[in-house]
Amino acid sequence: MVRHDVVIIGGGIAGMRAAIEVSNAGLDCAIVSKVHPVRSHSVAAQGGINAVLKADDSFDAHAFDTVKGSDYLADQDAVDVLCREGPECIEELEEMGAVFSRDERGRIAQRPFGGAGYARACYLADRTGHGLIHVLYEQILKRDICVYDEWHVLEITVKNNSVRGVVALELATGRLHRLIAKAVMLATGGYGRVFSSTTNAISSTGDGMALALSAGAPLMDMEFVQFHPTTLKRTGILITEGARGEGGYLVNASGERFMKRYAPEKMELASRDVVARAEQKEIDEGRGVNGCVLLDLRHLGERKINEALPQIRELSIKFAGVDPVREPIPVRPGAHYSMGGIMTDVFGKTPVEGLWSAGESACVSVHGANRLGGNSLLETIVFGKKAGKEAARFCVEEPDTRDFPEDALKECASGVAALFNRQKGESAYRIMEEAGLVMSEHCGIFRKEETLSVGLKKIRELKERHKGICLTDKGDVFNTEFQTALELGCMLELSEVILLSAISRQESRGSHFRLDYPERDDGRWLKHTIARRHGKGYAIEYKDVNITRWKPGERKY
Amino acid sequence: MRIKIKIKRCDPIKEGACAPFWQVYDVLATEDMTILDALMKLVSEDDPTIAFRKSCRSAICGSCAVSLNGFPKLACSTLMLPEYRKAGKIELAPLSNYPVIKDLVVDFDRFWKKMEGVTPYLTPSSGSVVTVTGEDEAAIDRSQKCVMCGSCNAVCDSEEADSSFVGPSASAKAWRFAGDVREGYKTKRLEKLSNSHGVWDCVRCVHCTEYCPKDVSPLEAIERLRSEAVKEGVTDNHGAKHVLAMAESVKRVGRLDEAAMTFKTLGFLRSFGMIPFGIKMELHGKMPHPIIFPAIDNIEEVRTIFEATKKKKKD
Amino acid sequence: MTLRYAYYPGCASQAITKESNDTTRKAAALLGIELCDMPAANCCGAGLLKDYDYMLHLSLNARIFSQAEKMGLDILTICSTCLMIMRTANDDMKRDAGLLEKVNRILFEAGLEYKGTIEVKQLLWVLKKDYGLERLKKKVTRPLDWLKAAPFYGCHSLRPSSALGFDDPENPSSLEDVLRSLGAAVVEYGGRTKCCGFQADLVNLDSAVALTADRLLDAKNNGADCVVTPCPFCHINLDNYQAMAEKKAGTKISLPVFHLSQMVGLSMGMTPVELGLHRHLVTPKNV
Repeated sequence: MVRHDVVIIGGGIAGMRAAIEVSNAGLDCAIVSKVHPVRSHSVAAQGGINAVLKADDSFDAHAFDTVKGSDYLADQDAVDVLCREGPECIEELEEMGAVFSRDERGRIAQRPFGGAGYARACYLADRTGHGLIHVLYEQILKRDICVYDEWHVLEITVKNNSVRGVVALELATGRLHRLIAKAVMLATGGYGRVFSSTTNAISSTGDGMALALSAGAPLMDMEFVQFHPTTLKRTGILITEGARGEGGYLVNASGERFMKRYAPEKMELASRDVVARAEQKEIDEGRGVNGCVLLDLRHLGERKINEALPQIRELSIKFAGVDPVREPIPVRPGAHYSMGGIMTDVFGKTPVEGLWSAGESACVSVHGANRLGGNSLLETIVFGKKAGKEAARFCVEEPDTRDFPEDALKECASGVAALFNRQKGESAYRIMEEAGLVMSEHCGIFRKEETLSVGLKKIRELKERHKGICLTDKGDVFNTEFQTALELGCMLELSEVILLSAISRQESRGSHFRLDYPERDDGRWLKHTIARRHGKGYAIEYKDVNITRWKPGERKY
Repeated sequence: MRIKIKIKRCDPIKEGACAPFWQVYDVLATEDMTILDALMKLVSEDDPTIAFRKSCRSAICGSCAVSLNGFPKLACSTLMLPEYRKAGKIELAPLSNYPVIKDLVVDFDRFWKKMEGVTPYLTPSSGSVVTVTGEDEAAIDRSQKCVMCGSCNAVCDSEEADSSFVGPSASAKAWRFAGDVREGYKTKRLEKLSNSHGVWDCVRCVHCTEYCPKDVSPLEAIERLRSEAVKEGVTDNHGAKHVLAMAESVKRVGRLDEAAMTFKTLGFLRSFGMIPFGIKMELHGKMPHPIIFPAIDNIEEVRTIFEATKKKKKD
Repeated sequence: MTLRYAYYPGCASQAITKESNDTTRKAAALLGIELCDMPAANCCGAGLLKDYDYMLHLSLNARIFSQAEKMGLDILTICSTCLMIMRTANDDMKRDAGLLEKVNRILFEAGLEYKGTIEVKQLLWVLKKDYGLERLKKKVTRPLDWLKAAPFYGCHSLRPSSALGFDDPENPSSLEDVLRSLGAAVVEYGGRTKCCGFQADLVNLDSAVALTADRLLDAKNNGADCVVTPCPFCHINLDNYQAMAEKKAGTKISLPVFHLSQMVGLSMGMTPVELGLHRHLVTPKNV
């Protein structure tokens, strides 16, 4: 029986930043992650992290860009926190050893990103996430923080609406373990794999959000899925917005910079939902090239590309067979980011006692209906830090009189045994593939009641079928089929919640576009969607958006 | 086209031990299929029991390094058919030099421990405010690109001979700090790295640089660490002494004066200890004779270059 | 047309492995290849000068290149380490004009200049490509058909492939091709592209000898009765250190090791004395 003060599920940037904070407070912290921390999907973030660093920029400007970008659904008090804490976070990262790219004057370089009125994205070449994750991992090592890597959390154990700890599977041995903790934090990232075409890693299956639902916590704004405009056709691999930030063009089959018709002022740097919809329309209306549009970087020149965008040149050559120095890259929208997630306050606290969340898995909400590029990395640092601090404070201030239920481990084990003992049934992989196609087809960029409803029916059927899956691999050691079965369960649950939330919201806002309700309706829909488990299904409720400064205005780019 | 893939499977028989066997699979390969695509297809359609690591699919998380036809590659970014055409086969095995957990999954414990052993976090000296220029960043940029895939350690010949060798990946990480202008304990780091099993043990086989998928060039990092160590006066070891002896020899006569160098590197007693071997070598005419070694023509040019290089450094 | 090269034997081949140098000169004469001496050529540094100071390593190698450039000839070397060191230095300077300029500013002080026009090759490559296998076959008077040779490339003939690039580093073939042209049978084994351990001799002799033992046994267990290498340092470890390797492995090896040049010379009728075989520690009884 192992005890920690705080157990953090997920070892990406948010999880590690929180762990550092807990450790700094002198408490005993453990990170539990199904992949080694440096393999977490944070590592793939390319473009940048926003911060107000220069005198002619302002927190208000950053906040307004964010609120407008969110299509006025973001909670403005939370956005304020996000923006104000940016510069301090960048400074701390530098002190830890992060090597941000410099401009000719030796200052931290900043580049423009979509939807922003100012070039405020700080970056590490075009591998910002990679740079930051490694710096944070170094700090984890420095503080000797306990890491259970390749341990897959099966449940967050809750009693009387308060968290007692987790039950996790040690992948290398197949053993189940109890980790008792006063506070548990979920920093498990997004659910991109729910869609068949996504920029996300194979590991991005939204496990934490499903764990939160099981623990009694609500999910918020799940209908808002960001489809990134520039992903490679076959693989869905991300080509950073930074490519457009450096001056890249989007053209259709006729060589036209079509964004002129959709966002005449910001063009390629309009908010992501606007660009994604524009691209999809061009493709749907026959002006695409093999189901894609073209991202043209040729005019930037080889030197600029090698300097500022070397990784995407490599990705493009390797995975699309195209050298952006010589040819435009065929790209199309792909599921990229989950604006929705586990509902938290600005301190990362959920309504379940002792349960926190930060990063992409959380919904504070700072991104509302659409996220700006560069704000996700910022969110992971700002709220990872805050949640860590708060979880630590909770541990110190709250008495530790709670116990870990005797049966929790046994119950979990018997559930696992039941799955392993099943002799006949379907393959988890088969169902996963079908589910991904259902979501891509029925819950994509352009939605309507009919298709969403059909999608919901299909997902519910798949959920039923999931109950009868059978494992071919009955081994204990490194059983990835078992892991896949677990992940599939999470993905199906989240798919149902996303579809329900999307059906319920009868308006278009940010990344959620209804062909049957194409206008934004602030009168009825200026509120967050909250989904909770309810009996055998889910209950949908609503909560007002926190508006402190900017009343919803016209959203033109 | 249909091709056969051979995978080296491993049944975990008890903790820390595996029974290896080869298994052959049939795959319908397409031109744009990567090794990872093939593995995912196999696992979802044919054999869900095959174990391998994977995550990002875009060569940035470092999960999927495997041995392909004897050499380490990232499964997600290696196209299968070109490799098949080159070698006439596709044989996948777990990375060499690592204990195997199951199939293509290896135990990275030693890898992480070696990384931890080089104090892999910045330790700036207190109170110093150092500005970082683009040029400073460029000096350590290559080391920064590392994704910790483990390919270099898998193919390192020094590691093959001595599993305690610091290894190319930890060395590249070590350079990232030793070469950082903000670092406060440069000399201390270099001292530690110059101990036994440290950077001087590298055999310069160039395998690491050849097989690194991210252009880190660990060998270059090792060379820089050696170079900085010598400059910082960390020279009380055979490796550094050999380098200094070579530099002295070339400056003096333009060439490698073996006799003088052996003494300078090994010291008198150790050279003495090599006498039985030396006698055998002498009988075959292989001993360098410590006569006065003639300098090459125009040796002055060499000496001028030595001076000029030193001067340019100061500028 | 006679092939002419600026000849760079390297320091080892002028001393400890001088049998290779002597053989190469004689063999070149028999083949009709003209080797022009470079009496002012300095040591390439063997990587040790690179460990000392990168700019010094570049500048001293540029000095060698400038001499060949003046002669209007490419360089031919019989040492793989010299090959790798010189080619990587040359490659660095050719890829980066700014770097070449920095080097030339240093060379200027010594009254020298390198314009970046010459190539560095090794005997193996010259035989395979410039000279040609067909031409080589015609010169063979004593086909080596009683030999089962294990070709040992060693690291520096193959890596880094970005600067070397003659053979596929995973599946090279030039040494096999040349040996077959000389009439020898060739043995297949995995160790042929791996390291002999030479560069660790003075730092970690135990590790170095372990590697040497492994390569020799690998060759022997695959049916070889000799090893052939283009690199003098590999020759030192595989031959001179073979007794130590036997001790480390706990078994007799007794595998003679030849320089590539000696195989060429032998196939053209040179005698054991001419080939300098008496200088080997492992007696080549089968010649």
